[in-house]
Amino acid sequence: MATIAVHQFAQCITCHAWSPDHSMIAFCPNNNEVHIHKLVEDKWERIHVLQKHDQIVSGIDWSIRSNRIVTVSHDRNSYVWNKEGPDWMPTLVILRLNRAALCVQWSPRENKFAVGSGAKTVCICYYEQENNWWVSKLIRKRHDSSVTSVAWHPNNILLATTSTDGKCRVFSTFIKGVDTRDSGTSSAGDTKFGEQIVQLDLSFCWAFGVKWSPSGNALAYVGHNSMIYFVDEVGPAPSAQTVAFRDLPLRDVAIILIYIDIYITHVRLQVLFVSERMVIGVGFDCNPMVFAADERGLWCFLRFLGERKRSPSGAKYGSQFSEAFGKLYGQSKHGISNDVGEASRSRGGIHENCINCIVPVKKEGESTNTRFSTSGLDGKVVTWDLENQEDLSEYL
Amino acid sequence: ANTLRLYLTCIRNTLEAAMCLQNFPCQEVERHNKPEVELKTSPELLLNPVLICRNEAEKCLIETSINSLRISLKVKQTDELENILTKKFLRFLSMRAEAFQVLRRKPVQGYDISFLITNYHCEEMQKQKLIDFIVQFMEDIDKEISELKLSVNTRGRLVATEFLKQFI
Repeated sequence: MATIAVHQFAQCITCHAWSPDHSMIAFCPNNNEVHIHKLVEDKWERIHVLQKHDQIVSGIDWSIRSNRIVTVSHDRNSYVWNKEGPDWMPTLVILRLNRAALCVQWSPRENKFAVGSGAKTVCICYYEQENNWWVSKLIRKRHDSSVTSVAWHPNNILLATTSTDGKCRVFSTFIKGVDTRDSGTSSAGDTKFGEQIVQLDLSFCWAFGVKWSPSGNALAYVGHNSMIYFVDEVGPAPSAQTVAFRDLPLRDVAIILIYIDIYITHVRLQVLFVSERMVIGVGFDCNPMVFAADERGLWCFLRFLGERKRSPSGAKYGSQFSEAFGKLYGQSKHGISNDVGEASRSRGGIHENCINCIVPVKKEGESTNTRFSTSGLDGKVVTWDLENQEDLSEYL
Repeated sequence: ANTLRLYLTCIRNTLEAAMCLQNFPCQEVERHNKPEVELKTSPELLLNPVLICRNEAEKCLIETSINSLRISLKVKQTDELENILTKKFLRFLSMRAEAFQVLRRKPVQGYDISFLITNYHCEEMQKQKLIDFIVQFMEDIDKEISELKLSVNTRGRLVATEFLKQFI
């Protein structure tokens, strides 16, 4: 079994993030609060509730080195929470958004964070010491529709975004005063803020869940047309591969690092790079999918991670409407399937509803990372480990 | 009966693919969250509608968007009596749409009954159960209408017999 731990935290979880030492988890239980739970003697206890937003919290990210939580919500606001003593104190973020914020991610050096929004813009926020708040610079042009997901390149300057117009774009987010012009990263340092480096128009349907590979050479994102796109050598001449699969579309892709160094990319979305050659995708199938690249660099779908079971076909139901009515009420959430001729398949064993969010979980002092956690609309957070899967070990 | 199975299987498979909904705030109005399939303000958020026809009289239109799904059904009505019965019966159900949660109060133009399923329904209820409900509903409608027609005819015959007895 690839699962290590399963816990039901709420009825429905929008997004989650782990603390740097993985003893605490912050998640949004599909309302305007952020709950922080701590693992105390094998039981999860709720220790904090962060209540500042008016609408559902759509993105949470917990920075590793500076121990700050950033939350964004559909109410166009964002807060950065710092731990002062026993409490979490919010710091205002001037986002200047006029629509909902959809996703957030800390940059690798944690001096900036990016917010994707329904206003067809991306906000890059950095801290202003004089006024003790976070200010933002907006990337206004280029996006034709809501920005669903953002991902930072390990060099802290490049940002990849996906949008519901089906395109994946890479921008430069160089901010004078915050980023230093490194002689090593010459190509990234020459560009100005908001300049689009590359636009990938591979999907004719909405794009979600973009992630960079640990080295920053390759990119992966998913389209709602049940395809996952792998792009190598992102730059002036990118080469792309698409993998189409039979099942329901993915929503998130995740990257787990194999190098322990400072380029820690946080994963928020539904695609995860486990190493340079393995990617985990999660989505509407309620089961993580493993994609791997062989020696020639060709990606393909390997298998589902969890077991899939098929529910037996239930008894024939009467034809009275009151019974059908009762079925919707009484048995919508649990119970047998009462289809007449066909068994309705239950997809995936562990999660019962769509998986929204996949985050890597790094063990203490380990150089390679094989663990990740998923959360979904069924309210569960499941931690998976790939170490015992022999057929996958060659890709790690 | 054979075509009914195929028709329902086709609808079931389409619904399984179409019911991949997620929470999506409105792009046009701040702080609002509306079913995009009803508003149709942003064409990029809508998917192509699928029309599944069993024959000229029976069809099913499935329109999807990023956060909502609309299913419209046209039920078979062979004669005038079935026409009236269907209209009255489905109107009865549509008026009580709140109790059904996924039912739409008015059917889409050209159809007899419509369902509106949003991402909130998918969060509260299981997707498979929702699909089972819709397919079961379609099967049951036909049975109900036939039963109603039968009972109307039976009752008419009984009433006529009783009435005409006094003239014997």
